[in-house]
Amino acid sequence: MGCCYSSEDKPTEEEEEPLIQPNNIVSKSPNGTERNPPNVPTARTDEQALLTSILTKTAQNIIDVSAADQPMMEPHEYMDRARQYSTKLAVLGSSLPPKKALTLPSLTSQPHQVLSSDLVPYSDVQQGFFRLPCTFLFK
Amino acid sequence: MTTAALTAGLERIPDQLGYLVISSEDGVLASAGELENDEHTAGVMMQMVRTASRFRLSGSPDVPFKRLSVILDDFVYTVTVSGHKVFVVKRQHNQQEPVNV
Repeated sequence: MGCCYSSEDKPTEEEEEPLIQPNNIVSKSPNGTERNPPNVPTARTDEQALLTSILTKTAQNIIDVSAADQPMMEPHEYMDRARQYSTKLAVLGSSLPPKKALTLPSLTSQPHQVLSSDLVPYSDVQQGFFRLPCTFLFK
Repeated sequence: MTTAALTAGLERIPDQLGYLVISSEDGVLASAGELENDEHTAGVMMQMVRTASRFRLSGSPDVPFKRLSVILDDFVYTVTVSGHKVFVVKRQHNQQEPVNV
C-alpha cells in the first residue's frame, strides 16, 4: 500500500534523497545572511558569547534584594544623621504657619465648684451695665 | 474621668435646670434636664466660650476668667472649661432684689 499516486516502480534517486542533509546545518548571522559554510567551533563560540551577553544584561537589570549588602552604620553615624534630621525638621517646623488651636484652654480644675458658686448678684446686673436682653459676664 | 463622675457633681448644683458636658472633638458627652439632647445650645455655647477664651488681658498669656455667665431674664447659663471639656449648667435666675430687714 502506498500513498496516492504511488507506483510499484523503484524509487528514484531523487525520491530517496533525505529532505534534511545531516551535515547541512544552516546558521544565519544576526543580519540575516546565510553563512557559507558553517564552522561548528565558531558557532559554539558565538552561541557562548550570546549567552554570556544575555547573562550580563540580566544581571545588570535584576535587583536581588536578598543579596544586597547592607552597609553597617557606626553608632556615631546614627547620631549624626539623627541630629541632621532633627535640625532639618526644626527649620521646616518653624517656617510652617502655626496650626490652628483646636483645644480650648482649661479654665479650672474644679468645674463643679465654679459652676455651683453664687451667681452674679442682681444688683451687679442692674447697676453699671447696659440693660441688654442678654448680658455676658466673665468672672 | 468617667461620664458619671463628670455629671455627678452637676446634678447637685442648686437650682440647676439642666446641664451639658461637651467635648470639642466628640460632641455632647452628657446632657440632662432642660438641656437634654440640646445640641443646638451645645453648639452655640461652644462657639461662645471658644471666642471668649481668646480674650486676654494685656501682657498675660492666661485666660482671665473661670466662668462665663449668659444671663437671660429667667435663667442663666454658666459655662466653664476643664480638662478639654466644656461644662454648661442652666440655673434658675432670681431677679428679685433681696429684701433688707
